[in-house]
Amino acid sequence: MSSLDRQHNHDAWWRSPDELADAPRLGEFLDAEFPAEADPGGINRRRWLQLMGASLALAAVSGCRWKEQEILPFAERPEGRTPGKIERFATAMPLGDTVVGLEVACVDGRPIKIDGNPRHPQSLGATDVFAQAALLELYDPDRSQSVTLQNVENSQERTWEQFAEACQARCRRLHKTHGGGFHVLAEASSSPTLAALRSRLLNAFPKAKWFEYEPTGDDNQRAGAVLTFGRPLRTHLRLDRAKIIVCLDADPLGTHPAAVQYARDFAAGRQPESGKMSRLYVVEGGVSLTGAAADHRLPLRPSEIPGFVARLENSCGAGAPPAFAQDRRDACTTTETFIRAVVGDLLANENHGRSIVCVGPSQPPEVHAAVHRLNAMLGNVGEKGTIAYTRTFDPERPSHVEAIRTLVDEIGAGHVDTLLILGGNPVYNAPADLAFGEALKRVEMSIHLSGYRDETSRHCTWHLPRAHFLESWDDGRSYDGTYSVIQPMIAPLRNGRSPIEVLSMLLPSTGKDAKPSPEELVSKTFREQIAGESSAPWRKVLRDGLLADSRWPVETISPLPLGEGLGVRADRGSGTRGQASDSLPHPSSLISHPLSPSPHPNPLPKRERTVGDEQLEVIFRNDRSVYDGRFANNSWLQELPDPITRLTWGGAALIGPATAEKLGIKNEELVVLKVDDRQTRIPVYVLPGQAPDTVELLLGYGRWAAGKVGGDVPEIEPVGVDVYPLRTTATMHTAVATIVPTGEIYRLAGTQDHHAIDAVGREATEKRAATLIRQATLEHYRQHPDFAQHSDEHPPLKSLWKEPEYEGHRWGMSIDLSKCSGCGACVVACQAENNIPVVGRQQVLKGREMHWLRVDRYFRGEPNNPELAYQPLPCQQCELAPCEQVCPAAATVHSHEGLNDMVYNRCVGIRYCANNCPYQVRRFNFFNYHKELEDPENEIAKMKYNPQVTVRCRGVMEKCTYCVQRIQEAKIAAKNSGEAIRDGQIQTACQQTCPTGAIVFGDLADQSSEVLRLRRSARAYAILAELNVRPRTIYLARIRNPNPELESSDRKHGSPTT
Amino acid sequence: MTQSPTRRARLVLGPADCASVTEAVCAIAERPRPPAAWYAAFAISSAATVMFFAAIVYLISTGIGVWGNNSPVFWAFDITNFVFWIGIGHAGTLISAILFLFRQRWRTGINRFAEAMTIFAVVCAGIFPAIHVGRVWVLYWLAPYPNQMSLWPNFRSPLLWDVFAVSTYGTVSLLFWYLGMIPDLATLRDRTTAASSWRRFFYGLFALGWRGSASQWHRFEWAYLLLAALATPLVLSVHSVVSFDFAVAQVPGWHSTILPPYFVAGAIFSGCAMVVTLAVPARSLFGLKSLITMRHLDNMNKLILGMSLLVGYSYGIEWFMAWYSGNPYEAFAQLNRALGPYAWAFWLMMACNVLVPQLFWFQRIRTSLWLMLIIALLVNVGMWLERFVIIVVSLGRSYLPSSWGMYRPTVVDVMMLAGSFGLFLTLFLLFCRYLPMVAMAEVKGVLPPRDGGDEE
Repeated sequence: MSSLDRQHNHDAWWRSPDELADAPRLGEFLDAEFPAEADPGGINRRRWLQLMGASLALAAVSGCRWKEQEILPFAERPEGRTPGKIERFATAMPLGDTVVGLEVACVDGRPIKIDGNPRHPQSLGATDVFAQAALLELYDPDRSQSVTLQNVENSQERTWEQFAEACQARCRRLHKTHGGGFHVLAEASSSPTLAALRSRLLNAFPKAKWFEYEPTGDDNQRAGAVLTFGRPLRTHLRLDRAKIIVCLDADPLGTHPAAVQYARDFAAGRQPESGKMSRLYVVEGGVSLTGAAADHRLPLRPSEIPGFVARLENSCGAGAPPAFAQDRRDACTTTETFIRAVVGDLLANENHGRSIVCVGPSQPPEVHAAVHRLNAMLGNVGEKGTIAYTRTFDPERPSHVEAIRTLVDEIGAGHVDTLLILGGNPVYNAPADLAFGEALKRVEMSIHLSGYRDETSRHCTWHLPRAHFLESWDDGRSYDGTYSVIQPMIAPLRNGRSPIEVLSMLLPSTGKDAKPSPEELVSKTFREQIAGESSAPWRKVLRDGLLADSRWPVETISPLPLGEGLGVRADRGSGTRGQASDSLPHPSSLISHPLSPSPHPNPLPKRERTVGDEQLEVIFRNDRSVYDGRFANNSWLQELPDPITRLTWGGAALIGPATAEKLGIKNEELVVLKVDDRQTRIPVYVLPGQAPDTVELLLGYGRWAAGKVGGDVPEIEPVGVDVYPLRTTATMHTAVATIVPTGEIYRLAGTQDHHAIDAVGREATEKRAATLIRQATLEHYRQHPDFAQHSDEHPPLKSLWKEPEYEGHRWGMSIDLSKCSGCGACVVACQAENNIPVVGRQQVLKGREMHWLRVDRYFRGEPNNPELAYQPLPCQQCELAPCEQVCPAAATVHSHEGLNDMVYNRCVGIRYCANNCPYQVRRFNFFNYHKELEDPENEIAKMKYNPQVTVRCRGVMEKCTYCVQRIQEAKIAAKNSGEAIRDGQIQTACQQTCPTGAIVFGDLADQSSEVLRLRRSARAYAILAELNVRPRTIYLARIRNPNPELESSDRKHGSPTT
Repeated sequence: MTQSPTRRARLVLGPADCASVTEAVCAIAERPRPPAAWYAAFAISSAATVMFFAAIVYLISTGIGVWGNNSPVFWAFDITNFVFWIGIGHAGTLISAILFLFRQRWRTGINRFAEAMTIFAVVCAGIFPAIHVGRVWVLYWLAPYPNQMSLWPNFRSPLLWDVFAVSTYGTVSLLFWYLGMIPDLATLRDRTTAASSWRRFFYGLFALGWRGSASQWHRFEWAYLLLAALATPLVLSVHSVVSFDFAVAQVPGWHSTILPPYFVAGAIFSGCAMVVTLAVPARSLFGLKSLITMRHLDNMNKLILGMSLLVGYSYGIEWFMAWYSGNPYEAFAQLNRALGPYAWAFWLMMACNVLVPQLFWFQRIRTSLWLMLIIALLVNVGMWLERFVIIVVSLGRSYLPSSWGMYRPTVVDVMMLAGSFGLFLTLFLLFCRYLPMVAMAEVKGVLPPRDGGDEE
């Protein structure tokens, strides 16, 4: 048995001293009880938990004879631990070259819920969707669990020891050549420990080479900073301080690595009550979350944005808005008006030093440079300003594209005989022209460390299972540089090891001691590199999950790159050639043709005049659910509706309504997209707001070796379409494609607008959306603060029934539509907290998704550039609940605290309640959605469940409970301690994870509670109040801050729409 | 057969006397072999019944998800079929109870099998709400029985009223049907020969020792009258309560006070159409043309015409109220029926229920067997669609546009709809084969006098 084989390895995590000592009886016991540890099929779940508990208890008595190795937080309170009680430990999640601080709730040694770390400046208790969903990945039965050696014919299971032997043999050979022929390809990382090991490795093997590749990264930002400052500085935005924010193809609220923090800052900068209200302009090709939040949005092709920036810089430099050009077409007039408004706002005296211009990673370095100059010109830069620059992690590394190209060249030249791939999935996501998979075949020994036996693993000779970040020691730097520690919550479930463990296997031993444990490696890095003079105790860092105040200091830029000549000119950028898709001339050369989209060799600009052809500008971006494809086997993310398109289970090619009409393409029609000689068939989703003549493609779908969820050809069809084959080193961000409709329809699994809507439905939707989402301009709000309470009229409301009386708590919720960015973290958090099943694409197509909390999205206005609004919809917990009245079995009943309690045990499944729910928040178990758990293979997946929440069976209704388990927990604790429940002590899962703090929960009977204050706010309104259902959930009206110059007359008053 | 409207048509045609009536009706049950068409029909309908029950087993073992029901359309074919079948039953009770109380003696020819139809329709109807629940195995929780948890069902729920209404209706209809059949069962018992002892046993068992004595007739008449009086309010109440399932809910398109009378009218409408649908083939198949005469059919067709006008009026009132109430949701619910994604169902329903029955203004059409059969079938289609439109189309687009959805039936949905017809026809064919299809005792009371003149 493989797990027992590794007992002598002191690096391995063990479960009990007996196991480590190889007690023969334990061996038998394990054999009997875990007939296939490698294949958890035989584990009886209860037995497994018993053993877990027993081994954890035994861990406390260990340490007499064997070297003690404890996971520190568990030693925090070894005795007095209450089984079944939730304990919280800090850790962090690495993603790309940043980490996000987390706090993980564990029950009996198993993590059940991931939350943000409230102490972490990048999180402050909130997370994005990826961190929320990471829990599911930990317990994914598809994760690889054995070292595999494969050759042409077959693949064989090996042990870590066998790999170590093979490795040592190889190392001996490499030592002779000083590492010649040894290459490492790593995914981006911000781990100081990994960096330290890397330099040790490169010392030991001086001729070895290290490459770092991410399919999407900050190459352009770095190059742009190099152009301007001569070194790759990282830009930090202070959205809370800004009055005017201009985003150019940038998505600080959505896909930015610091989006959680930025979303909160942005919300902090928009408080209608206090009058502090920033104004957000967004210029972009696709529709981003930032675009959805914009006060003004201008859809432009990415290739038109350099021209826009040049024009902006020119006008700001001139100190006045540009004059109107006379002979422009209407579209240009729109752009011109927009520029005039933006420049007017940027140059206004009261906004000096209080504006932000930011640009996204897909824009070429020259545009970044221009934006740096622009910010300097506007006085934004500085510690007290809105823009700060700090150092970045690993400033020396070349761009990702450069790195992978060099590596492939080296392989092609036959220089590589040993290739270690640490994480990542280059066979799937490397630029298509490099044919990385083909190149790999020429490497004699290729080793891939990966959580799954994915596409790359299947091309390598060795596959090593990688430990999940919740199972391993590591560290990292968050976007602002805060040093964060990653510590294991559980021993590796699947026999995996972390990258630092694998690297230390390759390193020669330094002393007479055995190899240091990963914890020692991390703490050593901390002591040697991080702690410095602060001498902060390691244990405190572990407890907090971070070293306080360890963010990178703000770099003083001197002189500021004001205008021409002060910045570093383009000739410095020769090293960055090719990493950006469109190598543009310096924007200053554009100034002579300010409005021509871009004079670079790309043929696109000319296309503007050849309307009618089938060419489109392609925008590649990470999917908002599966990222670059790494989360493709995570069904929570696959089923999370995209905030903009509302699609689940596979993306689509997004094109705007005008483009679709011009090309005669229907929604959901399959098209053939051709980029040069590469082509793919992909369904189209017609997305209002997508810039004309662009098509947005989402990376990360079409995985063919992801697993049972994301696709495992030939058994499991891939989810969605892989668009990496269209993406080459020259077209990493944008490309030019032709599009040919096929006439075939492929049904896309959306959770809203399941079908093409007819005229009568559209009209009603528009009318109703206006009363559901109540919004006004800041100006209108100041004049009529209570406008939201007057937008519907109805006769006096009288109840047919005796109205309930409440004593004690009266739970309530408020949701601020001004703050909600629509990101969907609350939806995944709710799913994790409440054991909500995933139903799959077919069921979503039928309209049977199970999310208790959904985020409704509405468009308003002109289809080619609509306004977007979000409305999260949990159960409204009506006081006069229509669901309660009609249930014949009395399975949904009113609690004396005002909750609509759903008694699963009593539910017969008649579904009358769901029909009668005007908010349609009830979800029905049409099938046994937990059936796959009966499969012994999936035994491990059961560990993800929150033990405090019933797993619902087939045939019962379920819905949001306001996280009643958390309410009860707090009430019990309060009763035991004799103290009252504090306001804010109980947080619902959605509230806890909301980056912007839009959701507030509390006790309406508590006169000092925040939720009551918000309920009494002038902006508060209930939706469908005319039905007299008296919802406990209320909304705060959305306030926008449009520029009066741009606000067309029909939109002046927030109240709705045409 | 057309006669001057000033003269009543004879209720029994031909040279009929008591013996010939007995002979005509009993012979059907006593014949060793039914007609070949019966076998063919039985083969098809029993196959459909088997399919029905197989689908039910599949449904219960797999989950409600085998249907097309979804969120927001949590009820679809299941409740549509339920309301449809309950409605079919209504004509039976109407003919047997109300027409009895009103001394409409022409009812005698058709009341027995209209009542049988009621029972079978209630059987079909009762299956759907029972199996449409998520957990069939705890269905008994809907019954108000004393239990150690002191848990009672929720008496505010219209569905609970529905349980009582339908079960009362089923019970009373069964009793009424059975009570009226006792003298005829005794006749069948008395005619059995020794060779068929099982017939003798069963007919004898269910005839309850009927001897035809004056005191037995006296009590029979009273019991029949009382049951008729009991059943009469049920005609109005059952479908009113069924309509409460919708009217009491607040779904736009459901929440409307017109629904109870509208449902009752619709139920009688569809029930009469079903009587015609069954009577036309049955009377020719079993040679009952002299007992179920064209006058019966003509009267039924007139009833259909009248009910069609009532139903059409109700449709009109719905539209009027949608406008008059000023409730935008209600107005949209109506517009959505006519112009939304299911507009085809709405307009087909309008055509079948309102337009086509107007043809019955013409006596020539009322008395044409083929035309009345086609029209009756179309009315059945229309009435099924009416329930579909009310249930599915209203649910598909209720208050929040974000959660609007479409319903698409699955194969299992269609199988169960077809299967319920199979069950209904199977039961009906068995009834034709083994029980007195016409109330002999009653028909004998309306035989023309010996002199051949009119009976009244």
